[in-house]
Amino acid sequence: MNSKELETMRISFKKLNERRMEILNDPQTKKLQERVKKIREDSVNNMEELLEMAKKRFEENGIEVFLAENDQKALNIIYNIVKDEKTVSKSKSNTVSEIDLAKFLTDKNINLVETDLGDRIVQLNPTDKRPAHPIGPALHLNVKKIAEIISESLGQEIEPEPRIIMELVKANVIEELSKCKIGITGANSVAAEDGSLVMVHNEGNISLLTLMETHIVLVGIDKLVSTIEDSISVIKLETAYATGTKIPSYINVISAPSKTADIEKRLLNGMYGAKKVVVILLDNGRRDALKECLWCIGCGSCIVACPVYNAVGHEFGYKGYLGGRGVAMSKFIKNEKTSFDSGLYMCTLCGLCTLECPVSTPTSELVEKLRINSQKAGFYPKAHGVIKKNIKSSGSPFKS
Amino acid sequence: MLYFRGCVAREKETNISKSTEAILREVGIDFKTISNEICCGSVLMRTGFLEEAKDQMQKNIDNLKGQKVLVSCAGCYKTFKEDYKEILGVELDVIHTSQLFKDLIVENKIIIKKSESIKVTYHDPCHLGRHCYEYESPREVLKFISSLVEMENNRENSRCCGSGGGVKSAFPEIAINIAQERLKDAEKTMASLIITSCPFCKLNLNQAYIANNNNNNNNNNNNNKQNHKYYKSHDLEVLDLSEFLLKQITSQSGGLKNE
Ligand code: SF4
Repeated sequence: MNSKELETMRISFKKLNERRMEILNDPQTKKLQERVKKIREDSVNNMEELLEMAKKRFEENGIEVFLAENDQKALNIIYNIVKDEKTVSKSKSNTVSEIDLAKFLTDKNINLVETDLGDRIVQLNPTDKRPAHPIGPALHLNVKKIAEIISESLGQEIEPEPRIIMELVKANVIEELSKCKIGITGANSVAAEDGSLVMVHNEGNISLLTLMETHIVLVGIDKLVSTIEDSISVIKLETAYATGTKIPSYINVISAPSKTADIEKRLLNGMYGAKKVVVILLDNGRRDALKECLWCIGCGSCIVACPVYNAVGHEFGYKGYLGGRGVAMSKFIKNEKTSFDSGLYMCTLCGLCTLECPVSTPTSELVEKLRINSQKAGFYPKAHGVIKKNIKSSGSPFKS
Repeated sequence: MLYFRGCVAREKETNISKSTEAILREVGIDFKTISNEICCGSVLMRTGFLEEAKDQMQKNIDNLKGQKVLVSCAGCYKTFKEDYKEILGVELDVIHTSQLFKDLIVENKIIIKKSESIKVTYHDPCHLGRHCYEYESPREVLKFISSLVEMENNRENSRCCGSGGGVKSAFPEIAINIAQERLKDAEKTMASLIITSCPFCKLNLNQAYIANNNNNNNNNNNNNKQNHKYYKSHDLEVLDLSEFLLKQITSQSGGLKNE
């Protein structure tokens, strides 16, 4: 991020904080928070059982289910479904970015339509395609810059006026969606006992994608909880922390393909919604992750508060996994080198993010732990190597 | 009492250890220091060198066991209190200077008049505050001797100065950037002093302040007001609690008896 983007991001964060203040201090929110903390902790502890249960229930509900151990396997599963298509569509999803689906499909000459406005802006940005915040990916770009980006991509000059930009992008997306039969989304929470996928959005784009012939849902196994009630709790808390609103515009719960039995009780799939729903449960390092690293509900509060993130932006993070918790996660999704490159040593261990986190993710402790192995694998800042040597020989970090 | 100065107060911000020792002498506390004092191991712990940190703790432990250990540094404090216990299984009797100063004032061992007109703000070191929950002792000292005004983010919500976790050495520019943000918080209070109780914070905040001033001068010279680092509205001094306390004692008594 350049200094202008950082400035815009900080202003956006400030606005967000002001907007969130009231709801975060509401006793109802605090009660919800306690409930969700427990849900997340229990769910992560029981991930294997929940996974088995989810597989069974999805199948019973008529949803095709796959478990992908890694990104490559997930990509192959998706490719097998979309290989005959020219264009497929997607919504904003960290998990979809995690497996680099956009690049994979481009290489296979399949066009991927990004339907989320913020994500679309970020994807079209020629200089840097990384989001600045999980829910507001483009909040580091001002309207002038956004107008430039959209003008460039549509090949027409656009006024830097939010409504004009929105209308133009909408028209463009709707036109592209008319050519699509497959929609790909993530899910914010998965209710294992119900075999339900729960998705949150404000734009209404996910609803459109669920009406495609085939709906593919890619979701990390860390998103599993027991019941829909748990899922809704998680989502309400996420929304409060991420945006300062009590409830998102849309919560979609998908538990089966679209169907009707209105003619002689004969079951027909694909009335208005998807004829086929496929869920891909992604492991990609999650099973080996430190448990506390998986409590996250993806609200982005931690980066809004983080002094380092405010100073450097998404340099401190990996893809959509932003800030200290994101860097920790990158070790499990990828490896030691990735988390080192993503800023494992940029964290000041100040602990403010834990206080701001609705589920109290102990990020500074995670980072400290991960540094031990990183260091052993040879990934540590040169300056720290010098200090270590100095202490060994002179007892002081400052003298050799 | 053993006064463990810590690396920064011993070698870089030496005025902190000198001030602390002067105060101890002033009130007649019998204390000693370790002439060949070595690092407590904190920086090694925070940067992933666990084995090396253990070695360092082993080297220190015999000097520390069985006595009251006074520390200036929030990093030493947390390390002695938590890591020595967790890793070596030894519970140390450790006290931070801010706690000792508070006790001395409460027990009337430091008698000092409140300077109502001196407006100060307090920066919580992460390792003392959020990690060890010590928010009030330094504030009580400050309230006793001056007028304390809080920054918007204080106590557990305090924003980091940017130097912890090895960031100061590995990413010095980020550390300074973060400190400059913290100084903006302090500026808003209109205090003339920002007091902290950790040599590491003081070092970084002070360097950021100096960098701001240099920037300021350059900006004035170049007439370039666009630089976003330009913010300084009034003079601000960065001090450790020990330095400020000693200053106040000295200014009121006209010098120290044991100097
Ligand atoms: S770690 Fe906590 S604060 Fe950060 S995104 Fe996850 S839930 Fe939100």
